[in-house]
Amino acid sequence: MNRLLKINYSFYFGVFLVSVLLFFCIFGPMLAPHSLTSTLETQYTSGKVLAPPMEPFESDSYPLGTDKWGYDLMSMILNGLRYTVFIAAAVTAVKMFFGTLMGLYIGTWKKTPGWMIAFENAWSYVPLFLILYFFLAPISFNSALEESALIGCFIAIASIISIPSIVSSVRLKTAELYQSVYIEAAKALGANKHRLIWKHILPQLKETFLVMFILETVYVIAIMGQLALMNIFVGGTIMRFDPIIYLSGSKELAGLVGQARGNIYGSTHILLIPLFVLLYTTASFSLLANGLKNRFQSNYQRTPWIKTGHEPQVQPARKKYEAKGSLWALSGPKIALAAILLAFTGAGIYVTATKDADVGVQSGSSANYQIDLSMDSDGVFTAEAVIQIKNKTDDEWDELVLYFIPNVFKKGNPFESVEGSSDAEIKKVTLNGKDAEYQLKGDTLKIPVSAGMADKAKHRVTINFDFTVPENGSRFSRVGSNYYLAQWYPMAALYQNGKWNKEPYSEGLETFHTGFSDFKVSYSLPKGYSFVSTAEKDPPAGNTEGTVKAKKVRDFFIAMMKDMEVYETEAEDGVKIRLYTRSNHDKDPAASLELARKALSFYQEEMGEYPLDQLDIVLDKGQFMEYPGIITINPYIGDKRFYDISIVHEIAHQYFYGIVANDPYHHAWLDEGMTEYATSMYFYADENQPEAQAFGLSRYRMEAIAAEGLGRQYSNVPLNEVKHTGYIYGQPTLEIHKMIQEKYRQKGDTPKEVGIRYLSDYYHMFSYKEVDTQDFIQFTKDYFSVPTGYFNNWLDTSK
Amino acid sequence: MVRAVQQIVIIFILILFLAALPKIVSVDSAGESLEWNFGSLPQVYGDFVTEVSQGSLGTYQLGRQTRPIAEDIGDNFLTSLKIVLIGVNGAVFISLIFGVFISRFRLTKIFGMILNTLAAIPDFIIIVMSMILAVKIYKVTGIRVISLRPDGGALNTWFPTLLVAIAPTLYLFKLISVKYYQTSGEDYIKTAVAKGMGVNYINFQYIYKNIEPFIKAELVKVISLAIGNLFIIEYIMNVSGITKFVFQSHEVQPIAIGLFAMLLISLIVYISIRLIFYLFKRGFIYE
Repeated sequence: MNRLLKINYSFYFGVFLVSVLLFFCIFGPMLAPHSLTSTLETQYTSGKVLAPPMEPFESDSYPLGTDKWGYDLMSMILNGLRYTVFIAAAVTAVKMFFGTLMGLYIGTWKKTPGWMIAFENAWSYVPLFLILYFFLAPISFNSALEESALIGCFIAIASIISIPSIVSSVRLKTAELYQSVYIEAAKALGANKHRLIWKHILPQLKETFLVMFILETVYVIAIMGQLALMNIFVGGTIMRFDPIIYLSGSKELAGLVGQARGNIYGSTHILLIPLFVLLYTTASFSLLANGLKNRFQSNYQRTPWIKTGHEPQVQPARKKYEAKGSLWALSGPKIALAAILLAFTGAGIYVTATKDADVGVQSGSSANYQIDLSMDSDGVFTAEAVIQIKNKTDDEWDELVLYFIPNVFKKGNPFESVEGSSDAEIKKVTLNGKDAEYQLKGDTLKIPVSAGMADKAKHRVTINFDFTVPENGSRFSRVGSNYYLAQWYPMAALYQNGKWNKEPYSEGLETFHTGFSDFKVSYSLPKGYSFVSTAEKDPPAGNTEGTVKAKKVRDFFIAMMKDMEVYETEAEDGVKIRLYTRSNHDKDPAASLELARKALSFYQEEMGEYPLDQLDIVLDKGQFMEYPGIITINPYIGDKRFYDISIVHEIAHQYFYGIVANDPYHHAWLDEGMTEYATSMYFYADENQPEAQAFGLSRYRMEAIAAEGLGRQYSNVPLNEVKHTGYIYGQPTLEIHKMIQEKYRQKGDTPKEVGIRYLSDYYHMFSYKEVDTQDFIQFTKDYFSVPTGYFNNWLDTSK
Repeated sequence: MVRAVQQIVIIFILILFLAALPKIVSVDSAGESLEWNFGSLPQVYGDFVTEVSQGSLGTYQLGRQTRPIAEDIGDNFLTSLKIVLIGVNGAVFISLIFGVFISRFRLTKIFGMILNTLAAIPDFIIIVMSMILAVKIYKVTGIRVISLRPDGGALNTWFPTLLVAIAPTLYLFKLISVKYYQTSGEDYIKTAVAKGMGVNYINFQYIYKNIEPFIKAELVKVISLAIGNLFIIEYIMNVSGITKFVFQSHEVQPIAIGLFAMLLISLIVYISIRLIFYLFKRGFIYE
């Protein structure tokens, strides 16, 4: 029992609480559930009205409630905490460094100058926060200075004005020690002043300095709090008039308390929650300081002769000079320290690793492919696909669903754009090594999972199939002797929201939705063909057998071509662009290649990295279409302008489709709209075309809709409801452009600059993620601080 | 004497500098850096000296009307003085009693623990929390503990006085406890104990006498703590004290006068405590 009482509780608690605090300081913004600009919008869900200010512990998504404007308190605190702690620590570090240095040396002077003592006294009369108040008041309110500059100002001024008090206390302590006998002895042995200070005085004081450091940190936080009560927030005060309110720019904790000061009468949680967190912050530092003090006191203090009521109970820790190897001996505190360190790093790694995991739409499945493909001289393809489909959910699957698109082009197919037909046939399907039944209807291939395998996390499907390619087909097409294999293999559908997200094939826009997959494709071709594909590295021309790979791509396209001319160039970061063409059209291949180079370089520089090493452009009859790393363009159309725009458009698709994924059936506008906007921005910002020209195509589409009298339609409708592709391509482009023109002042100087940065930030946010309309709205709302209703004009925001 | 003059000069310069800071510091129009406009400083000093030498304290803006400071400052000064005087004297008294004289009793230990816990909380948090508590008490019981109306009389000032007293009490109590503990390990205490003297006697004649210089040395700091909190408390509790001149105006004159009034208050409080110490020593301690 006695031993338990002698444990230095405040020290251990202090260490633990401070570690937790530091953890939230470092990883807080990653943990924040909402962004600083998103607000809770008043809503009516399941019979309850949710409206700000929300009380704490009422809603799962706003655990600590919101303030009266709907901002999430927890997110503000998690973002602001680091400011409070790190600013306070910075101020303390600066002032302690200079204060101690000066104090140590001045303390060894024979006589402290009178004016210095007079200054110290005079200085200590005036409360420090008043000096800061008068200094910061003229520059803090709606300041033209940047937040970082204001924080810098605060750190500088706060440290400078508190140096005198540190100097004074260090000076007194030093002077006291300097008179000790052991200093006399050292002097007699010939130690000079520096040696005395650094080898004899500092070691005596270092523990005091440590405690002082922690206490001074708390003191700085207290000063920040006092200033906050006078509406001066570190990092700047945003002042709004009518009614007059004060807001903290950095969301620093003391500022949060200050801005909620009016809440003592009602909705007190808005004030109390930041106050409690601040209390926790200061209390944990104080506990630590107190614990350290206890420890040092119990080690060095003389025992009193009378009963004082202040006896420390902590067991003194004595230095053992003989025991050398004791550093590694196990003891309770060491194990505890190791546990804290381990927990800290473990949690840190976990938070960092998972911080992006919940961005975008989640898929419950993923697939990887290994395909053997061989083509005979009659144009008949035989293939075996081994597909690993992973179940990432806890659901048990009773069937696997795949796309098998060649099947829809069979003889008698209804598609006008397809001249010939395909003989596609599935020969055999095995599931996890056993022969399996399957149903093939249209492009839907369903493989029932037998009872024993339903709980497997990974399914291995082997499909043997063969097919021919329809002449002048749609994407999946033979043009003369060239074969274009698009969506030619069984593609795993995605398992989303508890079901397979598989919609029927239709003509026109893409209906197939696939995830990011790795591919390994082996091929053998008749002589004379070249193999050009999505792969990271295509084989040299004329190579008719081999294996290629691609990582994290959404589709695997292969062009098998004969007698094509090749043009090559290089964009930024050594990305190769190859253009394949015949010479029987009126478009200049060199100019097209140059346009492609400029467009890709523009996107690489302004928007973000192009993830592959090469980009192939195939000019041939057929659709204008994008595939990962390869695009097809039809040079035989008359409209030269549309031809140029299409090249840029399909390159932009490498970003919005290739890397930022979306469901092309339910949210087709996300890739088409963003791509068309990015295309227009290339012509607008890089080629400096007039606005009317750069956005001309989108305007033209909307005019066509008006001319047909189609009225209005949301852009985010499923493909089977789309009345006109203009709603998918043109409407989003023009609406985003309009939004940028209205809101660009929040983010920059010109609409061009902000538009590009918006695209870039969107791209970086959702790289290798799937977005849906809600994600887009959430992101854009935060970006430009607009309410959901802002999009009602062109998006169905309830979906 | 020389030092006193030095101090007065330094304080004079410092306070006028502070009062003039809003005029000196500004952000330049490009919004990139701070501008220091030291050129106006001599004029600020000059104006202030002329104004005061003419026997007037100058004027301040109250809403739209301009009023002479001298007419209004009396009441405000007395209110603030009363708050700080009672607060700091109370703080010294309580911390001495509990820190030294009855420190050894078990009940005092509980009190000490409460004080130590409070000491870990920054003053402004205590201030805000106690206000929330007062509002809660009113909501639950209907008893009006405090009033935030400037004309609320005692109801308006007793709570600020209590809050002003908290910070100095915590600070002094901690200091005295530590010093008491340190002093009680000294050899002369051993001698006194060996001579068979009672604990109370030792506390008065040996301990107190040795602790007093430390308290005196920290007195300025203690008063400055109280004054610092006074500003905040007056500001957020609508007490019409000298703070009114400091925070509600943008001219140099009222701010400077307010700050000087603050200094005067510190001085009076300082003298009052020294006087009490002197009397205490004359009455109870054998020299």
